[in-house]
Amino acid sequence: MEDFMAVLQRPDFAENVRIHIEYLLLATAIGILISIPLAVLVHRSPLASTSAINVGNIGRAVPSLAVLVLMFPLFGLGFDSALFALTLVAIPPILINAVVGLRQVSPQILDSAKGMGLSGRQILSGIQVPIAAPIIFAGIRTSAVQVVASATLATFIGGGGLGDYIVEGYQRNSTAIALAGAISVAILAFLTEVGFWGLERAFTPKGLKIAQRRGRTGK
Amino acid sequence: MKNKMMLNRRDFLKLGGAGLAGATLLGVAGCGGGGGGSGSSGPKVSVGSKKFTEQILLGEMYAQAFEDKGYDVKRELNLGSEQVMDKALQDGTIDLYPEYTGTAYVAILGKPPESYPKTEAETYKEVAKFYKNRKDTPMRMLKPAPFENNYGIVMLTKTANEMNIKTLNDLAAKSDQLVFSSYSEFQNRSDGYDNMKQHYPKLDFKEIKIVNDLGIRYKALAENEADVGIGFTTDGQLASPKLKVIKDTKVIWPKYYPAPVVLQSFLDKNPDAVKILNSVDQSLNADTMRKLNGQVDLEQRDYEDVARDHLEQAGVIQG
Repeated sequence: MEDFMAVLQRPDFAENVRIHIEYLLLATAIGILISIPLAVLVHRSPLASTSAINVGNIGRAVPSLAVLVLMFPLFGLGFDSALFALTLVAIPPILINAVVGLRQVSPQILDSAKGMGLSGRQILSGIQVPIAAPIIFAGIRTSAVQVVASATLATFIGGGGLGDYIVEGYQRNSTAIALAGAISVAILAFLTEVGFWGLERAFTPKGLKIAQRRGRTGK
Repeated sequence: MKNKMMLNRRDFLKLGGAGLAGATLLGVAGCGGGGGGSGSSGPKVSVGSKKFTEQILLGEMYAQAFEDKGYDVKRELNLGSEQVMDKALQDGTIDLYPEYTGTAYVAILGKPPESYPKTEAETYKEVAKFYKNRKDTPMRMLKPAPFENNYGIVMLTKTANEMNIKTLNDLAAKSDQLVFSSYSEFQNRSDGYDNMKQHYPKLDFKEIKIVNDLGIRYKALAENEADVGIGFTTDGQLASPKLKVIKDTKVIWPKYYPAPVVLQSFLDKNPDAVKILNSVDQSLNADTMRKLNGQVDLEQRDYEDVARDHLEQAGVIQG
C-alpha cells in the first residue's frame, strides 16, 4: 500500500497520466478523421465496403506491439511512433462500424428521401449519418477503450504513459507498482467508456431514441 | 542479476494482456508456467531459472549436462524473480538455479548499497556463508562461472571515441550534451540511477528517455535516437565492436557472477552434481556468453539448440 501511494505521488505520475490521455484523445480523433470520410467514400459500393471491412479486420488482428516496433525506424523513439501505432489501433472499429452503419439504413427511407427531392449530400448528412450515429459511436467507444489499453505498450519505445508503472512493477517484482499503473488504466478506461457512452446518447437523434424505446417495449 | 529487461515475445503478450485485463477487469491476470517431463530411472533433479535469456540458457545447459549423466531432469525454467526462485528452493519445487553473487547479496541477504564489497571474492564469500548457515534449508552456492553480468553503460564506439569518453567520470563531465535511454526499474531502484549520480555527481543528462525494452534501447543507439544506453555486460548486442561499455572505475555496483545455488540435501544425495554444474560454468566466459545470448535474442535460435551446440563444442556433453 505504501509503495502504491508512493507511485501516485511521484512527480512523473501526473505527467504520465497526461500523456496517456493525450494518446487517447489524439489517436481516437485522428482515427475518426480518417475512418468516417473513408466510410462515406466506400459505403455506396458493396465491393469497396467489403474490402474496407476486411482490411479493417486484418488491421485488428495485427498485434499493436508489432506495429509499435515497426514504427520505430520511421518515427524514432517516443510519442510520435506510439501515436501512429495507436491511431492504427483506433481505425478498424470506427471504420467497420461506420461502413456497416451507413449501409444498414433501409432502402425505403432512402427512397422516400429521394422522393422528397433531397440531394445526395442532404440524404447523407440529414438521414444516413444521424440514423447510423449510434453504431458509429459504438465503434468510436470501442476504439477509445482499446487505445487506452494499448497505450500501455508505448513504454517499450520510450513513449511514456501508464505502461511505465506496469512494466516497472513487473521488472522489480512489485505488485504495488504494477497495480498503480494497471488500476489507473482501468479507471481511465472506465471513464472513457462512460464518457463516450454519454456522447453517444447525446448524438442519437430524438426520433431514434423513441424508436429504440418502442422497440424495447414492443409497442 | 535483478529482473533484467530482456523480454521475449511471450512476455510482451503477457504484458499486453495485463494492460487489457487491467483496463477491462480492474485486475491483472497471472500466468502459471511450468509443466514438466515425466521420467524413467536415474536420480531426479529439478532445475530452475529466472525469466530472461541468460538465465534460461544457463538453466537449460545445467539440465542438459545432468541428462547427459543419466539424471531424470525436470525443467522449471522461466520461473520468476530471485524471491520467487528462493522460495521455490525452500519448498523443494526446484533443487537448484543459477543466481548472481551480487543479486543474492542485495536481494536475498537484503544488504544496503553502502556495504557492497569491492571484489568478487569478498561478495562470493559473504553470500556463500549466508546460504550455508541457513537454518531451515541449508543451501550451497557453488563456484561462480568466470564471467560477470553487470550493468553496462553503453555508447557507440564511434561517439565515445569522438568525445573521448573512456570512463563514467568522462561521461558524467559531458553528460549535459547527451541523451540517455534508460528503463523504469533502473531509474527507481536504490542501486540504479541515484547510486550512479551519487558516485559521479556531475552526471546530468540533457534528457532521459524511458525505453522499457532492451532491444529497442540498442536500436536507439544505432539510430542516434539516444547517445547513451543501459544494458547488461553479457548482452548479445555487445559482441559487436560498434558498441562500447563505458568503464566504471569507481566500482559502484556489486559483482554479478553467476553461480548455481543448490539445496544441500540434494548435494548430499548426489555428490557428483557439483562436478556436473562446475563443468558447465567453467566452459563459459563473457565473450561466449554474449555470443550465446545473441544467438537467442538476435538470431531467434531455440534455447535448447544453442545450449546443446555450446556444450557439445566445449566437450561438456557427448554429441
